[in-house]
Amino acid sequence: MRKAYGQQVALDDVTLRVEPGEVFGFLGPNGAGKTTAVKILTGLVHAGDGEARVLGRPVGEPAARRRIGYLPEHFRFQDWATGTALLDFHARLAGLPAGQRAARIAEVLELVGLAGRGHQRIRTYSKGMAQRIGLAQALLGRPELVLLDEPTSALDPVGRREVRDLIGWLREQGVTVFLNSHLLSEVELVCDRVAIIDRGRIVRTGRLADLVGSASAVRVALDRVDQPLLDALARHGRVQSVDGGSVTLVVDDPDVAPAVADCVVRAGYRLFELVPVQRSLEEVFLGLVHGGDR
Amino acid sequence: MTTLVVARWTVTEAVSRRLVLAAILLSAAFVGLFALAFSILYPKAQAEPDAEGIFAVFAATLLTVLGLYAVQFLAAFLALLLSAGAISGEVESGTLHAVLARPLGRGQYLLGRWIASVAMLTVYVVVMAGSLLLVARLVAGYQPVDPVRAVALLMLETVLLFTAGLLGSTFLPTLANAVVLFSLFGLAWLAGIVEFIGQTVANQTLSNLGVAVSLVFPSDAVWRAASYYLQPPAFLGEAVTRGGIPFAALTPPTTALLLWSLAYPVATLLLALRTFARRDL
Repeated sequence: MRKAYGQQVALDDVTLRVEPGEVFGFLGPNGAGKTTAVKILTGLVHAGDGEARVLGRPVGEPAARRRIGYLPEHFRFQDWATGTALLDFHARLAGLPAGQRAARIAEVLELVGLAGRGHQRIRTYSKGMAQRIGLAQALLGRPELVLLDEPTSALDPVGRREVRDLIGWLREQGVTVFLNSHLLSEVELVCDRVAIIDRGRIVRTGRLADLVGSASAVRVALDRVDQPLLDALARHGRVQSVDGGSVTLVVDDPDVAPAVADCVVRAGYRLFELVPVQRSLEEVFLGLVHGGDR
Repeated sequence: MTTLVVARWTVTEAVSRRLVLAAILLSAAFVGLFALAFSILYPKAQAEPDAEGIFAVFAATLLTVLGLYAVQFLAAFLALLLSAGAISGEVESGTLHAVLARPLGRGQYLLGRWIASVAMLTVYVVVMAGSLLLVARLVAGYQPVDPVRAVALLMLETVLLFTAGLLGSTFLPTLANAVVLFSLFGLAWLAGIVEFIGQTVANQTLSNLGVAVSLVFPSDAVWRAASYYLQPPAFLGEAVTRGGIPFAALTPPTTALLLWSLAYPVATLLLALRTFARRDL
């Protein structure tokens, strides 16, 4: 899919597939196009060139949204309404039968930890409560797919933890979750698969384990670091950083570690430490996202 | 069905935000003030020595038409204020996103808002205009040409203004939309006066100018149509020779004007549906 607003390209040739039942992380810096992608899936933004389908139906059709739960970015809701009134409105729009509405509303309020607070006006809610009512709203229609756009960006650590637990619970229920985030730790903890997007382009897609495991590094600690050493190390990989007597070397294959040790010792350096380092998602992410123009 | 859910929500919003309460209290005060002023002034006019007995008719007409002219302004402002941010306000605050991600079409949402707002405005116009006409009738035995038509045309003006505002709010920011709407409303009002002067001094250019603006934004033209039916036949008969009220018409509206004023809200509503459906939120 490609989507442009006038001259500005928001999504450039994006191809994605999310499997049923998985927790999919859509990662990217602010302004990379994450929100545009989710808005296309929810019909808020028209698909540009290309095609998108949700639960087997083309996006834009109201029927495609029948089994979707969506928590928009910033989770702003009609603050003059009470929590229960807001959920009742959404329950009606979602087509919940009249006989089930009250029970289902109580159920989701309980689920997000707002039991007994439904009669309060949203205006009086704290940020955390507003976010919870948003989640309750997203889960109300027993969705098969839940789209969460930066669900924890405004929350304190406790709130973030609760959202993570909720995503885990959704996974257990077999619900597919599409999580937009720039918070890497969050994605690392809950997602099965991720796509990394930068300036409208997908730069990497894959299982989290593969992404993090694929690029490894070794860190060596020596008595001294000089140019001949760096030249010698460069034959085994890419020197990523030098910190005092410690050098981090990005390698394609962690199995080169013995060869690295051999090489520095032969060259007359004293080796204190050689540690294989698995790159964190953050390092993978920063390498991909900032690689182009810095 | 979904449209009615949105309509119900719109009414709930108006009640929750105390809009309805404020309207009821202020309207009651307005009608009370009108009734008081009318009952004080009309007996004084009756007491004036007047051979033809026309002075009292003039006084009653002037008071009633002035009162309804004020109602027209109140209803127009209410329509414009309700419509200016009807869609844009929700887009700007971000409250619309979760709603439109539900399985409802944009058209259903827009129509739901329209139906509820038009219903509330209609109740307002009927109650206010009806109360004033009732006061005039009870105090002065006031009998306009056709009160039902007059009130129906006042309703049409309000619907026309609301729908134009709704159209603007589908693509303009709230503040810009409000500026455009009030400018158009003011322009139409001025054009009505220009047209009246043109007719009085028999200047065709001024008259044509007024008609041209009425075509672009017929709010004042519809008020003038309503105003004809608000005046009693006895007054209209005399006013043709003695001169009428500058903001009220002495002749019934033409069929062309009525058709145009009916087509206008239909066209703007269709256009609003189209622009809203195409918009990226």
